[in-house]
Amino acid sequence: MSRATVIWLVARREIVERGRSRGYLISLLFTLVLLGVAFVLPSLIGSGTSLRLALVGTPPPGLETTIASIATAQDVKLEISRTPDSATARVQLKDKEIDAALAVPADLSGPGTLSFEQAANSRLQLICSSAVVYLRAGSTATPPQTEIVAPQSDADVAAMVFANAGIVLMFIGIFTYGSWVLTGVVEEKQSRVVEVVLSTVRPRDLLVGKVLGIGALAIGQLAVLVGAGLIASQATGQVVLPPTTVGAVAQLVLWFVLGFLFYATAMGALGSLASRPEEASNAAMPVTMSATVAYMAAIIFVVEDPGGLLARVMTFIPLSAPMVVPLRVALGTAEPWEVVGAILIMLVAIWLLFEAGARVYSGAVLASGGRIRIRDAWRARR
Amino acid sequence: MLEIRSLTKRYGPVTALDGATLTALRGRLMGFLGPNGAGKTTTMRCIFGLATPDAGEVHWDGAPIDAEMRLRFGYMPEQRGLYPRMRVADQLVYFGRHHGLAAADAKRRSAALLERFGLGDRARSKLEDLSHGNQQRVQLAAALVHDPVLLVLDEPFSGLDPLGVATMSEVLRERAAAGVAVVFSSHQLDLVEEVCEDVAIISGGRIVASGGIDELKASSGRRHLDVEIAGAGRRWPDGDGGLTVLARDGDRVRLLVDQQADLAGLLASAQAAGEVRRFEFGPPHLSELFMDAVGNGRDDGRGGGR
Repeated sequence: MSRATVIWLVARREIVERGRSRGYLISLLFTLVLLGVAFVLPSLIGSGTSLRLALVGTPPPGLETTIASIATAQDVKLEISRTPDSATARVQLKDKEIDAALAVPADLSGPGTLSFEQAANSRLQLICSSAVVYLRAGSTATPPQTEIVAPQSDADVAAMVFANAGIVLMFIGIFTYGSWVLTGVVEEKQSRVVEVVLSTVRPRDLLVGKVLGIGALAIGQLAVLVGAGLIASQATGQVVLPPTTVGAVAQLVLWFVLGFLFYATAMGALGSLASRPEEASNAAMPVTMSATVAYMAAIIFVVEDPGGLLARVMTFIPLSAPMVVPLRVALGTAEPWEVVGAILIMLVAIWLLFEAGARVYSGAVLASGGRIRIRDAWRARR
Repeated sequence: MLEIRSLTKRYGPVTALDGATLTALRGRLMGFLGPNGAGKTTTMRCIFGLATPDAGEVHWDGAPIDAEMRLRFGYMPEQRGLYPRMRVADQLVYFGRHHGLAAADAKRRSAALLERFGLGDRARSKLEDLSHGNQQRVQLAAALVHDPVLLVLDEPFSGLDPLGVATMSEVLRERAAAGVAVVFSSHQLDLVEEVCEDVAIISGGRIVASGGIDELKASSGRRHLDVEIAGAGRRWPDGDGGLTVLARDGDRVRLLVDQQADLAGLLASAQAAGEVRRFEFGPPHLSELFMDAVGNGRDDGRGGGR
């Protein structure tokens, strides 16, 4: 029987058995719900951001247009209505039909009153008082325009959101499924089923099959999530997708695969050192710790300065590359040669880690007794 | 034919196997005996490539065992070697496939075996939902699904109820009758004596006795003499004849004697002591051969069998 067939048998078992397990379906649903909440909630809250201002009685001519033009310049969404008198305005305030009511004498003889129900809105105050001041000065000129020299476009904001969402998915995905590899290895070892399997299967083929099978489930979940995310963002009109989207998604998937292969292989190998599931997380500590550090560094420093030296260095370190490169690509700061170089380094690192991991796994997975030291597993001849 | 030649295996300071050599024949049941830690499991692991011996070889039909050959072997380790949360039929198909069966064959054979073990209606149950005895049956089925030419089982009888013991013995006998070489370890020596034709006894990593049970008994220099003399109590034998008393129960006494013992003289002496109701001369039980071989037996003045 070819080794590919053996690996496929092992991988298929993982996909079928775990794919129909409640755990997989629940985690899929749970993340979908989280994602839905993340997109739908802001759009619900966002619909209330438009401010409603009522002008009481007969306002001075030109007030409404001046206020509207200042508001537009200030990038404040404002709905302006009319209301006959102050008493009505108060009722409207109380019923939350409006956010504020402005009463100014038609001849501008007094300063006028801007009424709020509970708390004053400082931007609205500013807009209204500026409008009154302009009108009083007899000036019909428009107020000073605000200028932002390097505007942050919607696309930039979206790229940032997208990059962050991607890296979170990456981190959660790798560790959810990496820990499946970890516990799967320990459970097989503890139940001794590994002895039966290894009577026909090479240890490294078992490890590969396990990593690939669980990896397929992880990719399946990622595909559903990214797909759902893209659809949700378009459906709610929340986010304008940045032009880097296609490349970023491709990089996200590619790096998810690379990162998973790297981390899951390491976790599988270290898992074989434990003798009970309770020990497994201890055994995998070196991997989870370094990955967490890499993740923190990515979301703190790389997001801050995605083109900086630290970001560039972390691009070429296999431990951090899976989290840093897709982030930099999404933010549009990764040079093509950096991406290609990082991929090559990552592939070599995965191969080396796999060779070493398979050796440790072979040496440890059949050993009985307590926790095995990695050095003993490395040296062990079965 | 399985041939194990001078296997040596050390784990750090511990010598698990120290030149173990044995042969198991097709069509025969071999009991593999030895105290805990004597090297039984390590020997089995060497057969399946789960342990690599430091020295020595394992051959099947005259050729060194390789991965291809192992596909035709069946192994049942001592602890349950199955996936607790996997469905019963799926496990059998899975292991069958790993042994090179095509998917359709694996399915057909799994269903047939489950039917044979009375588990046809549990095919879709998870293993962990089955009783202990039924789990053992599934485990045996997993070792049989690919119709192996060599069947190696580590403690297959431990923890089985009498019904389970009967099924297990029946299946193993049936496999041997079909031409399979069957080797299993056990501490239940009476059971081994009843089920097996051959035994191998391992102690301290060496095979200290092996071969047909009947031949081993016959070639043993020792014989047992069971004598019952009405009312003799402890008066017979009187102790001068260099006889070793193995056991005494009321008027009954079991003696260890040489093959060439003077039976006529002993009978005369016994008759002098009282009415002889039983006077039986015969080979030792397997358990006595075992004790003798591993050197942990009663102090019979001969020292250990190593």
